[in-house]
Amino acid sequence: MSLKIKLTSVMVDDQDKALKFYTEVLGFTPCRDFEVGGGFRWITVVAPEGHPDVELALEPNANPAGRTFQSALFQQNIPATAFEVEDVEAEHRRLKALGVVFTMTPMQMGPVKIAVFADTCGNLIQIYQPPE
Amino acid sequence: MIVAAPFPRNSTVRRLGRAKDLLCQDLDQKLTLAAVAREAALSPGQFIRAFKAVFGQTPHQVRIEARLELAKRLLISGSMPVTDVCVTVGFASLGTFSHLFTRRIGLSPTAFQREARTLVQVPGTLPPKLYPGCLTLMWHWPADINFREARRPGF
Repeated sequence: MSLKIKLTSVMVDDQDKALKFYTEVLGFTPCRDFEVGGGFRWITVVAPEGHPDVELALEPNANPAGRTFQSALFQQNIPATAFEVEDVEAEHRRLKALGVVFTMTPMQMGPVKIAVFADTCGNLIQIYQPPE
Repeated sequence: MIVAAPFPRNSTVRRLGRAKDLLCQDLDQKLTLAAVAREAALSPGQFIRAFKAVFGQTPHQVRIEARLELAKRLLISGSMPVTDVCVTVGFASLGTFSHLFTRRIGLSPTAFQREARTLVQVPGTLPPKLYPGCLTLMWHWPADINFREARRPGF
């Protein structure tokens, strides 16, 4: 078995806006970015820490079905994905200072501490601090 | 690790989500800011600020984007002239429609429609070239680009 997880994606309503938010606000590092026609780009970013070869694709949410799905998740407060952080409280303070809107401030949920924010691209994103 | 958490049934964020959906509906109708702000139970000023903070765009920008997306779908259908598409998606001026469409999509409405007509389309689906999924995007992966070589200027 040689299956590997090297790529994951999050649907975004605007790729320019997403690249700006995920790099300048969240702190991801740009990885790939090239035109694929139709006004779309293949954009991936990598986390500044962690596995440098695991890419997050900022996937254009052009399909109407995808938009419906994204909107439903958002309105049901279901995060599109989750990122691990060392210190949720510190990350909450840092992002809030940058104008990020949190729908859930840091909260202990069993063994993990989590917080949820809007990524400005139609998604809620969860950050979690694993138990020590 | 995504954890389900309690969420107020009528929170501001949920109402903003509903307001965003409203902005993307009935695109040929006139929709006032006050009406959408009421959906979010906020004053117009509070609504614009909160909406921009959560979605990164103003309500007006979202409505324009939704109109352009609908225009794309109508143009792809191929049977409607550009002028009719312009009116159907709620633009009063063909010049404004054409300018905004070209700036956003990279092709004029006419050129976009011409290109769409050349694509083979399965009934009931949208052409993957114009509405790509993740894997469709990867089909365009340049063979001569290696890891981290595809950065745009400025990065």
